[in-house]
Amino acid sequence: QIDYTGTEPSSPCNKCLNVSWDSTPPCTCTINFTLEHSFESNVFMYYGLSNFYQNHRRYVKSRDDSQLNGDNGSLLNPSKECEPYRTNEDKPIAPCGAIANSMFNDTLELYRIDNDTRTPITLIKKGIAWWTDKNVKFRNPTGDGNNLTALFQGTTKPVNWPKPVYMLDSEPDNNGFINEDFIVWMRTAALPTFRKLYRLIERKNNLQPTLQAGRYSLDIAYNYPVHSFDGRKRMILSTISWMGGKNPFLGIAYITVGSICFFLGVVLLIIHHKYGNRNTSADIPN
Amino acid sequence: RSMNVFLIVYLCILISKALINTVLKYVWQSEPFRDEPWYNQKTEPERKRNLFLQAFTDFLAFMVLFNYIIPVSMYVTVEMQKFLGSYFLTWDEEMFDEDTGEGPLVNTSDLNEELGQIEYVFTDKTGTLTENNMEFVECCIEGHVYVPHVICNGQILHNCTGIDMIDSSPGGSGKEREELFFRALCLCHTVQVKDDDSVDGLKKNQLSRRSCIYISSSPDEVALVEGIQRLGYTYLRLKDNFMEILNRENNLEKFELLEVLSFDSVRRRMSVIVKSSTGDIFLFCKGADSSIFPRVKEGKIDQIRSRVERNAVEGLRTLCVAYKKLTAEEYSNAQKLLQNAKLALQDREKKLAEVYEKIERDFILLGATAVEDRLQEKAADTIEALQKAGIKVWVLTGDKMETAAATCYACKLFRRNTQILELTTKKIEEQSLHDVLFDLSKTVLRHNGSLTRDTFSGLSTDMQDYGLIIDGAALSLIMKPRQDGSSANYRELFLEICRNCSAVLCCRMAPLQKAQIVKLIKLSKEHPITLAIGDGANDVSMILEAHVGIGIIGKEGRQAARNSDYAIPKFKHLKKMLLVHGHFYYVRISELVQYFFYKNVCFIFPQFLYQFFCGFSQQTLYDTAYLTLYNISFTSLPILLYGLMEQHVSADTLKREPSLYRDVAKNALLRWRAFIYWTFLGVFDAVVFFFGAYFLFENTIVTSNGQVFGNWTFGTLVFTVLVFTVTLKLALDTHYWTWINHFMIWGSLAFYIIFSLLWGGIIWPFLNYQRMYYVFMQMLSSGPAWLGIILLITVSLLPDVLKKVLCRQLWPTATERIQNASRHCREHISEFTPLACLKSPRYRSSDCSNSPARRSNSHSKKMMFTHWRGVDYSVLPSVFGYSNKHCRSSAGYRYSGSGLETSV
Repeated sequence: QIDYTGTEPSSPCNKCLNVSWDSTPPCTCTINFTLEHSFESNVFMYYGLSNFYQNHRRYVKSRDDSQLNGDNGSLLNPSKECEPYRTNEDKPIAPCGAIANSMFNDTLELYRIDNDTRTPITLIKKGIAWWTDKNVKFRNPTGDGNNLTALFQGTTKPVNWPKPVYMLDSEPDNNGFINEDFIVWMRTAALPTFRKLYRLIERKNNLQPTLQAGRYSLDIAYNYPVHSFDGRKRMILSTISWMGGKNPFLGIAYITVGSICFFLGVVLLIIHHKYGNRNTSADIPN
Repeated sequence: RSMNVFLIVYLCILISKALINTVLKYVWQSEPFRDEPWYNQKTEPERKRNLFLQAFTDFLAFMVLFNYIIPVSMYVTVEMQKFLGSYFLTWDEEMFDEDTGEGPLVNTSDLNEELGQIEYVFTDKTGTLTENNMEFVECCIEGHVYVPHVICNGQILHNCTGIDMIDSSPGGSGKEREELFFRALCLCHTVQVKDDDSVDGLKKNQLSRRSCIYISSSPDEVALVEGIQRLGYTYLRLKDNFMEILNRENNLEKFELLEVLSFDSVRRRMSVIVKSSTGDIFLFCKGADSSIFPRVKEGKIDQIRSRVERNAVEGLRTLCVAYKKLTAEEYSNAQKLLQNAKLALQDREKKLAEVYEKIERDFILLGATAVEDRLQEKAADTIEALQKAGIKVWVLTGDKMETAAATCYACKLFRRNTQILELTTKKIEEQSLHDVLFDLSKTVLRHNGSLTRDTFSGLSTDMQDYGLIIDGAALSLIMKPRQDGSSANYRELFLEICRNCSAVLCCRMAPLQKAQIVKLIKLSKEHPITLAIGDGANDVSMILEAHVGIGIIGKEGRQAARNSDYAIPKFKHLKKMLLVHGHFYYVRISELVQYFFYKNVCFIFPQFLYQFFCGFSQQTLYDTAYLTLYNISFTSLPILLYGLMEQHVSADTLKREPSLYRDVAKNALLRWRAFIYWTFLGVFDAVVFFFGAYFLFENTIVTSNGQVFGNWTFGTLVFTVLVFTVTLKLALDTHYWTWINHFMIWGSLAFYIIFSLLWGGIIWPFLNYQRMYYVFMQMLSSGPAWLGIILLITVSLLPDVLKKVLCRQLWPTATERIQNASRHCREHISEFTPLACLKSPRYRSSDCSNSPARRSNSHSKKMMFTHWRGVDYSVLPSVFGYSNKHCRSSAGYRYSGSGLETSV
């Protein structure tokens, strides 16, 4: 878990602290870190934001699900809920709304440092969104041809985005509304401190661990401003079992409740033995 | 009634919640980057809005968000429960009377639960305690007693105290009086004769005398006429204003009926004026001794009075008969007066009464009759049970004191050791009212301490209980407002005395006085719930006055039954009605009300907590469909069914143990303590739900493929835990399981799951948002969510289970002791073993074998079941606790070790 907000002056990302959305070229910074243990199985790379109220009511409802579902009518005439991110210069915004507008746009790259040589680690960007979201809930608008540029004709990009939605990715099945980064962002988080899946790192073969212990560096294209609302940004690397990620809460809670139950069992046994006779005699008052 | 107070409390909570949130919102928003961060800007009109207007809108929005805490659906459910519940009363076969072929009638369904709260029962005597089935027992003419024998028709057997047979009756005047007496009885009534329907002559001949049926509004009259028939005088019919009598020599005598001065309960007498065939005009009068004796001019008053009093002590109803001979001009005078009064346009009643007063005087006393009125079956049993149940029984009657007292002894209202306090006119004549009252209160209050303290153990016979007898005149003295304002004092004193008497008998009461007494008690400072039961028209005022009015479908017409809230065929049914049905209704409704508040607190409080984490933005935690359907379909049916079916103790036990009624007396289950307990339980559960889910979701990943959950999953998780907890809580409280209960409880849980799957399974074309799409399924696919749900349900149910077990073990109420006892009994008989006992051994073994290799979640669910049941029924609690702990902690270790996560 690496915090790269850069509020501390010593942080390499401090210089990028006050960047704006559309600074070109993006402010980049690099953070080096060391993994103490190697990661054996698949590794999941998350970005985490805190103090970011994705669950604010105004924010949550500021989207148009039918537009995202590929409805051509809604594409050109987005829902009123999207205000004030509905139209820009008299052109409808696709995708409209505050959620889409504020999509996370830092780029994170991971390198392994081996004797001063930086080997990039392959980050897989597919499979990070719910399957149902990607295949059913989110769809590109339909029309003749597969040219997304043509399909999104007549719309404009969200205000804060550097590129329109049909240029999010080069691959056609990960572009437009079905871009997985976009879908992940559109699932609003429950709490103001949250994390979202960014990339997957797959294990290549059975001989080597996915990520060996050692030194790594994280290259960040720092675009996303969080300083203005006291937010923090983090990058998290995690493995996951069938139980999900590391979650001390469940374990502790189960142990606690288990011991309480045990304690109560003992207490009740004592009570039962002590007072049980009185009860079994069943003094029915007459 | 307490429901409304609770509602106000909840309204206050609602408003304060909304206020708190609004204030906090503006405090929180005071920093601009929070109010309007760059990623989430307001629209132009929003920005321009007036601050106060905006704050007010926010306040309203919070109100809307939290309004579910006011359980609107409760009213619907309560009404439905009452309405449907009242059918259970009608359907009760035990309350069906075969003689009349009638079951109980329910005229209102609003008062079901009040039946479980009765503290005072006011009962009429005639027709209610007694059968109102009159039997002519004897008559006394001039001090000689005649007893008709039931079997030998027309033959007269003389009482041993009497010296004479009719034939050898002494003297001409005596004979004449005797004849007159019988004629008087034959004539002075309003009985109508109805010929037998089957008018074939053969049958008529066979039955000879019994060929016709007498019908009258008053059973006394029928009894008298029938009795006289047995003494040889048969009233045949009223034909063209001539009353025909068949006398002992089988001669037909005709009397012309000139006037009927009809009976009313104020005068307590009736008269007829007849003209005999010889042309003499007679006025025959029949009425209560108290109203006749003052008007008698001559006759053997003392002898007859002593006889009347003796009969009264034996519990017989007595009537006196008198006559006077009218001359022609006297009659024409009277007739004129009557005519005037009858034609009067104004105050006719009053004028008639005055005229009657004038005419009915200077009688010659003939004799008295005695009619027996048998007690209704099981009246004594019922009264005893009611007294054991802590209900005070008052008998209000119009009869003489002695008669009424005898009846009270017969029906065990007064027992042999009851000390009788008398507050009657006679006593008041001796002393002043003031002294009498103070004397009485002193006697009563001397034992006051032991009396009131021991009401719980009031069954013990060694305790001195008091019975108070008061008559109408004394009562009116007490009630009469004084000029010096001391009447209030008397009233208080009287109430104080009454409250400390286990039984009160009020005799010589006018109908309005009955109502007055009921009102007096009703408005006394404890505001007890009163019940009045009666059968006749004279009880209607009292039935209307009391909280619950019960009419007996009896002989004196149906006025009472029609004016009452409930009508039952017999007095004995009152026992079942109060002790069983009333108790059930009360337990059901109180649980229903409390549960409704509880489940809505559970429902809304997480919303409230969520506001602290979403910037006080009125974001709902649950999806709209869940918000709407929670009260309508997910949780409503089980509680409604509970409200209809619950029998925490079997009906037989309740009937056998009247003292259980004390457990629910004085609104015991809806007091503030219970209410606060339920509310706190609700808040606790809500906190558990919310923070459980919060810690589960906070900064971690709960899926096995690394994908993330959003706010709707969070809400759905909380909602799932909520629905399960709330439903299982009800399952814990249910003592009486029928297949319908099982169906409803598990059915509504299943419905919730199916609905959620369906709701999330399809892109609904009519919705403009698809936020629930696959949320529920995704949640179910995650292991920690399952574990979390199970854990949270357990934790939230734990305190309630704990409280139940501890209270049951350490401070069991009578009800619970009975429950335990009946369970033990059933175990011995080994039939109908309760669920837990049946299942626990099987479950226990399965737990232990499964616990080491437990993977599937369904096992843990089952295990928790046993855990609850085990603790709840306190069957070997430690075994379960232990096995549970074992499984849990080992599982816990596994979980904590399962995830590997690194931090740099």
